[in-house]
Amino acid sequence: MLDKKLLSILVCPVTKGPLIFDAKNNELVSLTANLAYPIRDDIPVMLEGEAREMTLDEKEQWQSEH
Amino acid sequence: MDKDSITHFGFENVKAGEKAERVAGVFHSVAAKYDIMNDVMSGGVHRLWKRFTIEAAAPRPGQQILDIAGGTGDLTQQFSRRVGESGHVVLADINSSMLNVGRDKLLNAGIAHNITYTQTDAQFLPFDDNSFDIITIAFGLRNVTDKDLALASMLRVLKPGGRLLILEFSKPKSKTLENFYDQYSFKLLPFMGKLVANDPDSYRYLAESIRKHPDQETLKSMMDNVGFANTNYTNMTGGIVALHKGFKP
Repeated sequence: MLDKKLLSILVCPVTKGPLIFDAKNNELVSLTANLAYPIRDDIPVMLEGEAREMTLDEKEQWQSEH
Repeated sequence: MDKDSITHFGFENVKAGEKAERVAGVFHSVAAKYDIMNDVMSGGVHRLWKRFTIEAAAPRPGQQILDIAGGTGDLTQQFSRRVGESGHVVLADINSSMLNVGRDKLLNAGIAHNITYTQTDAQFLPFDDNSFDIITIAFGLRNVTDKDLALASMLRVLKPGGRLLILEFSKPKSKTLENFYDQYSFKLLPFMGKLVANDPDSYRYLAESIRKHPDQETLKSMMDNVGFANTNYTNMTGGIVALHKGFKP
């Protein structure tokens, strides 16, 4: 489980926009950059090069929920 | 910095886009032996340099601290004690091997309650503006490709009035010391790297990267130029290492 104190100050390293914790995929989602950052061994990997580009469907789904 | 522009990897010239990967290779390679090599190489003196850095940071209970390139957690361990239950220390490193070694060490020391971890590039810090009271980067800045970009990123995430401390190898003040130090680091250091860690190339990179790093006054002006206030530095061990300090206005 990701620490709340950490989550409250984390932003997207590319856009500095907000992040959504995706518990199901264990990722941090940046809608402003269209990227999902992995969390490995409970450590958020906040590197653009390691992030996954989201599909249009995924993005639309997040946007409808947030 | 353009990814095709030329930067240095020790004494080699490499494309800026390649430096991070080469540095990553070095630290994946040395992570497991990092602590013991620090003791061997510096004769234990790195502990004094770090203690001095902690005192200059003057952490107080409840503060938020970011330890960039915090690696195996030497500074984080001390900060964790000083900021207490209400404080928070973020140990950040770009290298997953170093982070894992650091986390295991801190967990074994039983002091993990107020520490969190992120894999992070100092040039693109993933934190909100004005998040931290103190930022430290110890023996990390010289491995960063674009140091100006990293300094600006640190300034952004510091709270107004917050302080940055940069502990890094620097330029010895006397010619005699410099000559001795050259002999030591280009001859003896790779030899010790081979003996203890079976990795002479990584320790040759270390010696070379230290010579390429900006000297005391140059680093101070770089801090001034990105907007830090009241910048100054303290030489330690005759300038082999310097601690730079600056504040966010």
